[in-house]
Amino acid sequence: MTKIGVFLCNCFGEIGGVIDLESIRKRLESDPAVDFVTVRESLCMPGDAAEAHARIRERGIGRVLLGACSPYGRMEMVRLALVKEGVDVRTVRAADLREGCAWVHGKDPAGATRKAANQLDMEIALLQNMRGSKDVAVGIQQEALVIGAGPAGLSAACGLARLGFQAHLVDRGTAPGGMLNMITRVYPTDVAGPEKLAALVEESRGNPRIRFYGKTKVASVKGYAGDFKVSLAGPEGSTSLRVGAVVLATGARILFPQGLYGYGKLKGVITQMEMERQFASGKPACRSAVFIQCVGARNAERPYCSTICCPLSLKNAMRIVDEVPGAKAAVLHRDIMTPGSVLEAYYRKALHKGVQFIRFDADRPPEVRGDGQVSGVEVFDAISGKTRTIETDLLVLSTPLVADPESAALARMLEIPVDGHGFIAEVYPVHPVETRNDGVFICGTARWPVSSDQAIAQGEAAAVKAASFLGRQTVSALAMGRVPGAKLGHAEADAGACTGCGNCVAVCPYRACRLQRTGNRSVSRVIKVRCKACGSCVSVCPNGAMQIPEQNYRVTGEMIRRAFREVR
Amino acid sequence: MQNMTNQKKTVLVVGGGVAGISAALDLAAGGHRVHLVERGHDLGGQVAKLDKFYPTDHCAFCPLWTEIRRCKESEAVTIHTLSRVETLEQAGVRHRAVIIESAPVVDPALCINCGRCESACPKGVARPIWEHAYPPVYVIDRDRCGDCSACAEVCPTKAIAFDREERKVELDLDEVVWAAGFDEVSLAPMKEYGWGTHPDILTSLEFEAWKAEAGENRGKILRRSDRAVPRSIAFIQCAGARDLRLLPHCSAVCCMHALKQAQWVKRRTPEVDCVILYTDLRTVGRDYYEYALRDFDGNGVRLVRGRPSMIYPLPRGGIAVRYEDTSTGKREIRQFDMVVLNGNLQSTLARQPDPGARPDLGGEGFVTPASISCGFVMEPADVTESAIQASSAALRSILGTKG
Repeated sequence: MTKIGVFLCNCFGEIGGVIDLESIRKRLESDPAVDFVTVRESLCMPGDAAEAHARIRERGIGRVLLGACSPYGRMEMVRLALVKEGVDVRTVRAADLREGCAWVHGKDPAGATRKAANQLDMEIALLQNMRGSKDVAVGIQQEALVIGAGPAGLSAACGLARLGFQAHLVDRGTAPGGMLNMITRVYPTDVAGPEKLAALVEESRGNPRIRFYGKTKVASVKGYAGDFKVSLAGPEGSTSLRVGAVVLATGARILFPQGLYGYGKLKGVITQMEMERQFASGKPACRSAVFIQCVGARNAERPYCSTICCPLSLKNAMRIVDEVPGAKAAVLHRDIMTPGSVLEAYYRKALHKGVQFIRFDADRPPEVRGDGQVSGVEVFDAISGKTRTIETDLLVLSTPLVADPESAALARMLEIPVDGHGFIAEVYPVHPVETRNDGVFICGTARWPVSSDQAIAQGEAAAVKAASFLGRQTVSALAMGRVPGAKLGHAEADAGACTGCGNCVAVCPYRACRLQRTGNRSVSRVIKVRCKACGSCVSVCPNGAMQIPEQNYRVTGEMIRRAFREVR
Repeated sequence: MQNMTNQKKTVLVVGGGVAGISAALDLAAGGHRVHLVERGHDLGGQVAKLDKFYPTDHCAFCPLWTEIRRCKESEAVTIHTLSRVETLEQAGVRHRAVIIESAPVVDPALCINCGRCESACPKGVARPIWEHAYPPVYVIDRDRCGDCSACAEVCPTKAIAFDREERKVELDLDEVVWAAGFDEVSLAPMKEYGWGTHPDILTSLEFEAWKAEAGENRGKILRRSDRAVPRSIAFIQCAGARDLRLLPHCSAVCCMHALKQAQWVKRRTPEVDCVILYTDLRTVGRDYYEYALRDFDGNGVRLVRGRPSMIYPLPRGGIAVRYEDTSTGKREIRQFDMVVLNGNLQSTLARQPDPGARPDLGGEGFVTPASISCGFVMEPADVTESAIQASSAALRSILGTKG
């Protein structure tokens, strides 16, 4: 059995001033599992790690126990310094004798010494019985799949291609561009949609590293980070791909305001998209325009702000004022959502151009007047407290972006969650384009309503994240922790003990557990690349079949026993 | 359009907040070298001062801690703390920068966080760097220090020295990413907000530190004047912002920040009456609007649309806030126990006077697309936006494309 070398840190008296390190040393030396015990003044000062490593090498030991400070103190630095010297990170354990013992039990040195002995004994039990997880290495396919060729997907595909990776860009439409193809002017720079994307579209056609698949859908995705097996269904039948990463950029849809504010009944009541079409085919035939915000949004059914509708109305209202001689424009809103400097300046510009802004309360929405053709709007102005009637022959309804059911289906295929509104959820706000499933990235309005500029930036972000994953070439399952080098191990299923109940499958937050049919029964299997060693499966397995070898239930039981053992 | 992955670049990232850290980590992950320059004692920036994140209400430091640790453990990232960019010159496609790195009194490589300096200091200027620093080390506030060296005498690791000299670092760079973040601008010139006239009129970052669970009151909601529990708190939005006299821009983060703080107060101390006086309640991110709608069983934060015209301390205690409630059209004068001012956030570069050490700025003080930037120096942004912009800035600096 491999023996354990122990280093105890006095921490300049911070530990040794309370805990009797000499008695601890003698005690540990009598433990047959321990090869040597060295008491040092420090472990974290320059040169300490090299000296400790020399001792480890000299004794030829394979397990190291440090009795020092908390991992939130300098312990992780000591471990890392030892790793840099060439010690395997998983063979080093630490007991927190400073923050966790000496500092909190300063008034009871004898008690602190007994507790320190227990803490060290627990770690010895673990080191003695520790088995290492069997690692697997996955060769990462050096290609990526980008689903959706709107601003976000185009920008992700171009980013990946420029970084040297093959991108397969799939869209259900015939040409790249997405929703922006229908926009004649994009806020806040006021360039035309296709013009805004021209460089990216051209690159997607000219760069040999991008292959565009028009009128194509993703039929299935199987596999995991580094090696996804994808099947595409296109006009020429199905195509099979193996890719290392997937970028989901499928966009969103716009809510159709059927039955709201006379839409579908009165002539002259249109959506923002229909407004865009009018601009595309020339000047809109109107004498004035009124825009209503939050149509079908920020209500009980869709309790969210769709981000883009306020700037969109500002743009189109300014266009009416600019392009239709003598025309007036009014925006009826609940809050003008123009955060930041650029959009706030855009709002000021609209005010200067004479666009009228009227605030209404959600519980007193505007009422539409007209017979066959819209003639005006009656609105209770929440600021002046008066009801106003505005004559207009054009009423534009600002409806929100809503999640595309096709995106949700893809999310299920890629095993990533959607939020309560159907948009695809990121893993955490600090990692906004990464998902729970490693190797799968999200960007654009499939994730959450954003402007085209933000979608392009998110596409670039997804490209960077996907490229640095692909750039690793091979991935070891033990390197797939959230913090590099900090993954404990991964769960392993004992096929003999497993009864196939599926508890592990139900609780695994990373979809790492699978039931697999072998013969006439199902047993659990762990996809090691996905496992983050959180231990959820271990805790729900009724048969003890799920274990993390580094810390299995026998070891944990022994550690608990030692934690409460009487020390003399 | 050539393969850029084989070309390893050296990039200067200015600013060690969440934007700078994210950009540095993305660059390092791509195999590039990074010099990360931070003006403060440690990485973390403004997020390190936050107690909670919206909309999760989770601790802010935990994810930040992980990112800081990854940065500090990365061999590709060289961190320069207490540093500033002295000069920056473009030489063809390359950049030459001179960094001035001040020497800390306490060497973080040697400090073991034992706190003996704190006990020895007669002036109380030795303190932990920040509550959740990794690794936890002490700093000495040189401005208020009497240089008595009592701390140096008790320091067991000889980490404390008063005679360390600043260092000049010359860097030859492929790209520069600006991520220098924001500062609160003084509201003293805008007399109507009453900032500085009463200890219970605080800016939102002052309040965040004051109410922090890891702060001096351990999460208790107290008045700063007498440490009594306040009966009411007014959160004033757009203080100094969306105002052509000071900051024309909307600072983008303050509506959610105020909602977070006010709801947190309600959760800790439900009897405190919390009112947010806002102009437009800007809740555009994922789950933000629902966050604003939470009503705590009818005892929630009250949202009043109106902008105060005057805030002033009352002679017998309390603070008067004069405003028009635009939903009723009535002018009100109401007494509050505390006032929290929100909105006065400005890019740090906007007040950097030396154009030789900063990029070209637009009219409102934000970095123009002629340089690569991310986070608040580019455009007011919260953590999520900053992280997205940071990755996008990393891509552009790898590829050498601007805009």
